[in-house]
Amino acid sequence: MIEVRNLTKTYMTHERGHTLREVAKNLIRRPMKEVRAVNALSFTVEQGEMVAFLGPNGAGKSTTLKMLTGVLHPTSGEVRALGLIPWKQRRDYVGRIGAVFGQKSQLLWDIPPADAFYMNKAIYGVPDREYRATLEELVELLEVGDVMRKPTRQLSLGERMKCEFIMAMLHRPELVFLDEPTIGLDMIAKENIRGFIRSMNRQGVTFILTTHDLGDVELLAERVMVINHGEIVVDDSLSGLRSRLGDKKSVRLTTEAAVPDIARKGLHVLERIGPLELELEIDTSLLPLKQFIREFNEAYGIIDMAIESLPIEAVMKQLYAEGAVRPEPAAVL
Amino acid sequence: MRGIVYCWAAVIRTKLAEQMAYRSHFALSVLLLIVGDLVVPFVTLLVYRSGASFPGWTLHEALLIQAVFALAKGIAFPFFFGMVGTTLSQVREGTFDLLLLRPRPVMMMAMLTGFDPDDFGRLLSGSVLFGYALSGLGGPSWQSWLQFGLLFLASITILCAVSLFLSGMLFRWVGSSRVFDIFDAVTSFGLYPGTIFSKSLQNILTYVLPIGLIAFVPASSLLGRNGWGTLWALVPAAAFLILGAVYWNRMLRSYTSAGG
Repeated sequence: MIEVRNLTKTYMTHERGHTLREVAKNLIRRPMKEVRAVNALSFTVEQGEMVAFLGPNGAGKSTTLKMLTGVLHPTSGEVRALGLIPWKQRRDYVGRIGAVFGQKSQLLWDIPPADAFYMNKAIYGVPDREYRATLEELVELLEVGDVMRKPTRQLSLGERMKCEFIMAMLHRPELVFLDEPTIGLDMIAKENIRGFIRSMNRQGVTFILTTHDLGDVELLAERVMVINHGEIVVDDSLSGLRSRLGDKKSVRLTTEAAVPDIARKGLHVLERIGPLELELEIDTSLLPLKQFIREFNEAYGIIDMAIESLPIEAVMKQLYAEGAVRPEPAAVL
Repeated sequence: MRGIVYCWAAVIRTKLAEQMAYRSHFALSVLLLIVGDLVVPFVTLLVYRSGASFPGWTLHEALLIQAVFALAKGIAFPFFFGMVGTTLSQVREGTFDLLLLRPRPVMMMAMLTGFDPDDFGRLLSGSVLFGYALSGLGGPSWQSWLQFGLLFLASITILCAVSLFLSGMLFRWVGSSRVFDIFDAVTSFGLYPGTIFSKSLQNILTYVLPIGLIAFVPASSLLGRNGWGTLWALVPAAAFLILGAVYWNRMLRSYTSAGG
């Protein structure tokens, strides 16, 4: 569905300091600097996949997304998506894709979303019957029957985001790009949106997602690409990404006696929640769970215990710590 | 083509609904535009009342030029000039991306997104002034009306081209809100009879920067001062529009969006 080969984007930007002298100097001469926002990316995405782009701010995720949607021309490299070159065959291409930007609204602030839907129907040339059927289905799925007739400015962020999804899906796109779709939403709204994305994905829609919300990644993405400095540093399944940490578990304990600072291989205190409650990280290849439970029960008396896999946040932290991902200041693009 | 017309009508309908959401703002904007556009004709009236004049032009003839100017703006501003404001804000914020994601010509989408019905106020002030100016003149012949109709089309074409140039500039010179001042400064020449300027300036204002075509040339034709040869002025108008469209599309390529 998407084939990307050696995709590169560079652009020129200028830098200046904050002093009055530097500001004045900058009016006359602006030293330009070339920034390589995306550097020779190559990957493929199959139909029906749900892929997440992760990476720190300025890593090149959004620039990649903009080239994949045909908004930006690359400096070099090739992209074929849905059999088309996005920036060359833009009109044919964008008629078959959808996009939702958590920070850029497609709705019209002063009038109800229903009016904006009608406008999109005309722009995309959706036939009447198809429009009515799709709208009915989406409205039911997202439960926005009453909401879509109120002025957009009176809607909550969650309601607005649901309507953004309707805007993006009205023309039945085969491929949808999501840029931080759950940013700022409460838990219930996130749950609704994620449920909707999963349901559309089951119908065969391919999703490319960029996000900083690792909850989105855990609950939606089957495949994760970590991008930094414009390059893919990891392209793996979510379980594959997790396995990079080895056999580590997170254990939350409540004990009868206080647990002192422990210096033991394979054991690491993550957080002391209270005098008798703490969270530990255990590398089970070095300290098997059975042995850990026996020793701790004998020494401190276990009252309560919860064992979980390490969350994806820990995987990302580890990737940062290993230097696989080196954060840098945000790029302009 | 039917699809484009349908799309055009739907977007205009939605934009109208959007603009009229705040009725008091809409009414006030229309009123202020009418008052603003009548300032120059009012000054012209004062000049003539004081005994001075534009040599070779009666008050009603001079006002006719300003009326044609207001009428041309009354059509061009709602339909074309909104794209300058759209480009100014959306390129700076990076939301121009959303227009590029529509399966329609980007230029058309930029114009439609910028559609601003408030500016129809200019059409109203222009019509009132046009009627007043004509009331003091003899009835023009049908040939004069025909010439005027064609040249008025050229006038709209010029204004459309100017909006393309100004909007196109904003892809490279992001956030330059002074483009509106550039427009006011350059087109202010078009408010007065071309004959008050030197011959060389008149030629520049007709063939290089065809500002004279916005009002002076169409008004002169309506007054029967021009022959059919004036219709050659349609050529620079068309050339100016083509140049504007080429320039806009070239500048669009330099759009870099904004940080993600």
